Amino acid sequence: MLDHILSILIFFPALAAVFGFMIQKESMRTYGVAVALIEFVLSLVLWYAFDNNVSGMQFVENIPLIPAFGINYSLGIDGISLFIIILSAFFTFLGIVSLTDTPKVKYMIITLLFLQMTMAGVFAALDAIVFYTFWELSLVPMLYIIGAWGGPLRIYASIKFFLYTFAGSLVMLVGMLFMAYFYHQAAGVWSFSILDWYRLVLPENFQLWLFVAFFIGFAIKVPMFPFHTWLPYAHGQAPTIGSVILAAILLKMGTYAFVRFSLPLFPDAAAYFMIPIAILAVIMIIYTSMVAYAQKDIKQVVAYSSIAHMGVIILGTFALNVEGVSGSIFLMLGHGVVAGGLFMLVGVIYDRRHTKLMSEFGGLAHVMPRYATIFGIMMMASVGLPLTINFVGEFLSLLGFYQQSHILTLLAGTGIIVGAIYMLAAYKKAFFGEVTNEANKNLPDINKKELFGIIPLVIVAIWLGVYPKPVLGPINNSVTSIIKLMHAKATTELAKERIPDLTKPRVFLMKKTINKEVN
Amino acid sequence: MEKYLYIALFAPLVSSLFSLLFTATPKKLFTGIVASLLIITSLISSSILLTHILETGEPIHVTMMTWMQTGGLYIPFGFLVDQVSVTMMMVVTLVSSVVHVYAIGYMDHDKGFNRFFAWLSAFVFSMMILVMSDNYAGLFIGWEGVGLCSWGLIGFWFHKESATWAANEAFIMNRIADLGMLIGLFLIYWNTGTLQYDGAFAAFHQLPTATLTWIGIFLFIGAMGKSAQFPLHTWLADAMEGPTPVSALIHAATMVTAGVYLVIRSHELYSLIPHVGLFIASLGTFVALFAASMALVNRDMKRVIAYSTLSQLGYMFAAAGLGAYWVALFHLMAHAGFKALLFLGAGNVMHAMKDELDPFKMGGLKKVMKWTWIMMVIGSLALAGVIPFAGFFSKDTILEAAYSGNHMVIYGVLLFTAGLTAFYSFRLVALIFHGEERYKLFGVHPHEAYRFMLVAMSPLLLVAIVVGILQTPFFDMVEEVLNGHEYHIEHTLALIMLVGTQLFVGLAILYAYVKYANSKIKVPDGTSKIENSFAYKLLINQYYIPYAYEEYIVKPYRELSEFFWQKIDVKVVDATVDGIASIIYNTGEKTRDMQSGNLSTMLRWMVVGLIILLSLAVIFGFTVKYSGV
Repeated sequence: MLDHILSILIFFPALAAVFGFMIQKESMRTYGVAVALIEFVLSLVLWYAFDNNVSGMQFVENIPLIPAFGINYSLGIDGISLFIIILSAFFTFLGIVSLTDTPKVKYMIITLLFLQMTMAGVFAALDAIVFYTFWELSLVPMLYIIGAWGGPLRIYASIKFFLYTFAGSLVMLVGMLFMAYFYHQAAGVWSFSILDWYRLVLPENFQLWLFVAFFIGFAIKVPMFPFHTWLPYAHGQAPTIGSVILAAILLKMGTYAFVRFSLPLFPDAAAYFMIPIAILAVIMIIYTSMVAYAQKDIKQVVAYSSIAHMGVIILGTFALNVEGVSGSIFLMLGHGVVAGGLFMLVGVIYDRRHTKLMSEFGGLAHVMPRYATIFGIMMMASVGLPLTINFVGEFLSLLGFYQQSHILTLLAGTGIIVGAIYMLAAYKKAFFGEVTNEANKNLPDINKKELFGIIPLVIVAIWLGVYPKPVLGPINNSVTSIIKLMHAKATTELAKERIPDLTKPRVFLMKKTINKEVN
Repeated sequence: MEKYLYIALFAPLVSSLFSLLFTATPKKLFTGIVASLLIITSLISSSILLTHILETGEPIHVTMMTWMQTGGLYIPFGFLVDQVSVTMMMVVTLVSSVVHVYAIGYMDHDKGFNRFFAWLSAFVFSMMILVMSDNYAGLFIGWEGVGLCSWGLIGFWFHKESATWAANEAFIMNRIADLGMLIGLFLIYWNTGTLQYDGAFAAFHQLPTATLTWIGIFLFIGAMGKSAQFPLHTWLADAMEGPTPVSALIHAATMVTAGVYLVIRSHELYSLIPHVGLFIASLGTFVALFAASMALVNRDMKRVIAYSTLSQLGYMFAAAGLGAYWVALFHLMAHAGFKALLFLGAGNVMHAMKDELDPFKMGGLKKVMKWTWIMMVIGSLALAGVIPFAGFFSKDTILEAAYSGNHMVIYGVLLFTAGLTAFYSFRLVALIFHGEERYKLFGVHPHEAYRFMLVAMSPLLLVAIVVGILQTPFFDMVEEVLNGHEYHIEHTLALIMLVGTQLFVGLAILYAYVKYANSKIKVPDGTSKIENSFAYKLLINQYYIPYAYEEYIVKPYRELSEFFWQKIDVKVVDATVDGIASIIYNTGEKTRDMQSGNLSTMLRWMVVGLIILLSLAVIFGFTVKYSGV
């Protein structure tokens, strides 16, 4: 079974979803929970069977699809993708368990199971075409979730989400086709295998163009400033479960793809574009944090905070050293857990009051003390307090980038200040003060079902903050091999300088001092 | 010994988690008792560690487990108990034990009794992590942890707008400083390859001075936030919104001294960069005077004590900046004792006066609150630095250190501030406990605090009285670790200085009594001449700094945020995207007519197309022809 565990992980939920159409409405929830639980257990089996000492791909499957063009159904995971797959199964499970009274719950569960298929597929794919297929397929269930179960502006929001990301991915597809063509030129055979592409050293100007093509697809997905405006609409209109999955997993496709494609395929271009991208990341952090502070709707605060956190992830990724890239991958998981949790928590209050405006609340800590406590913990995790999951990722990402630039890291570091500002301000508005609104006087505190969805996230957020080693270890191994590959492939002076050479004994000395950078 | 280290560290955590279980339930007395017992356990363990250190002089160093490890970075949860950290541990556990027991009485009628102990013990745990860590990252955990607990405790009465505002202000201001600290950590890591104290200190000796200076500056920025040094000082006075035991523990004795601890802990760094040290000392001296001046006129009992804390922190930084690390640590220790005593005394007064804070509305409380009066007088004497109380020994040594280092300006300012300190402390005592019983106008019936609260305060009283005689043993203990040396001033001169200082302080106390302990004091109504003078207005408005922050930082930030959202994000970025989409859509709409299937329309479009293509062909033809030649 272990030989095909990735295929099982991908197609089991899809198959179960198809059978789902035949299940009666009443028993659908139980069915969905059972399927999602099996899927989650399978992902844990994957982790159990995963060899932490191997930095390369494991559980590799390879079936030729179109041999003439070198397109294979090729799967495999390393330390980077493993945990995102587990996280996606985890969230699908929690999402279905804590699913509140939804109209047409049967179809919602079927959609979620399809979505799980696409997510597992994206992160396990080792062939560009397979990757692209799942990448695009993932839009469809999300389109349905927003469009069918969303708020008043749902059609606008869902079409915007779909077209925007779709347009970006088409550019990416063109990039992939060119990449395969270049491979054909160099090797004489067609191949869409990512691992084959890793071995290809391209001249710098080719790299720059291809990097840009891929970048557009990824940047819209992440979403990076200035391509981010679809996200607030999507979150604003999506039902709770949609926001949770979107923030926790779907956004990570973009940042994951940077690590999987952009860095190892185009090391020279990555080094070349490092500073401009870091500037975008800094804008994402400061600008969106300020926009978040101006929001009146608590869900929008969390939505914009997601963009700011993605900025830190991008910064860590483009630190191009082990500390930064490992940190950014860890932060992907951290942000998934925390933002997913926060969206779930916003859903709790939305279910009770059918509004998300902070001005409608105030003093909730009096009537819902347990809810306020849990929200407080997740908020502090989001702010990046040490011993919570986000701190590890943020700290490492910023630490990593500090080697490249003092000033940009200092600017990005203001994220810990502006992040605290919008979060604390929002918390104060919603939870502190007297209960002024009559409608809030008798709100029931968080109930068992909701706790069942949120408590595991709280536990993970603290557990991985205190003891990140089981996750950070495998990530570190795989990242180290990527950085080694990048350094070996780098052709320009700039890339050689910016990507550390891990084969030599480490010398700890900043390349340039602050004084030099300032001058 | 490791066993005691773990007990000392984790007993407060257990206490916090235990109380946490009952946060959503009504008051349960046993949470307070269990929490206090666990903190006292921690105190006992710390004492055992102290005796071990005193006997053997061997630091205890344990590595519990790995925290983060990636690339070249390795950060363990490692703990170090040496002479410096054991001093801090004693301060922290002693004051927090007192405060825990005291709070059982103080929070008696509070709805959030259980929640209070959960936060308070969590604070103690964070503080222990801060002082016991063997690396900068671990210190940072505690650093942020105490910030979190401070947030929770300042905003403890979260129904009050002022309290939650102050809580957020404290957290955010500390975060600003924490960024500095974080950058300091990054610099240390990329220059030395480690965040462990021992490794980093060893590597500092090989680094260029410019780098060390930057590290020193950034770490000190972190210290400035926690220890509320100018210009990040405004949060401390506002933090007085929290319950008084919190003010005693966090905002007087322990958390605010974390910045001083950081400088003392990094003394191997700061002794390599004396110019940064001088800056620290100068800033500290400035803050000592600056804060004392604000304390002169304030009409809020707790704020006066808070400003005096600020001022004393300035003294500590002055000492630490001048390289007198052991003196700074000694003053920290003595200050923790008498300042916590003063705050708890103020808490008794507040309880008696139904949370009244204006000392002008009190007066004559000596009769009903004899024990509180005695304690606050002794606390104030210690703070003023009157012989033979605690503050005398510690403060006088700071003055000696400044004098023998030939820093005459620092010496002069600190000496002058000592006079101010004596004045405002006894202004407070005189207004509260002496003179007319003005409280009768307000229909309050004061009463003395519970007996056990007074007993709980007694260890602090003891510290305030006797800590002076411990100066020599303390010096012997930390001498080696902190490269300390005693300050020798010529004997007659030293005697003159001593007498002079004492005289000056005595006169200030006398003046305060004469001015405020008489029956003519009335509740000020804003009409008297002094209240309308420029100096008074400047001081009572805290030099208009909070106003300036609100007007020139907070408001613009809010407006800019609104602008970014409403104008940039919605009207520029998103409108562009929608614009592009609608251009495509409209093009489709417009050109749809072409495909109507009507033969004549289609023929007409065909002709148009033909003409365009032909003219293009002609143009290209000519271009090729002429450019080719």
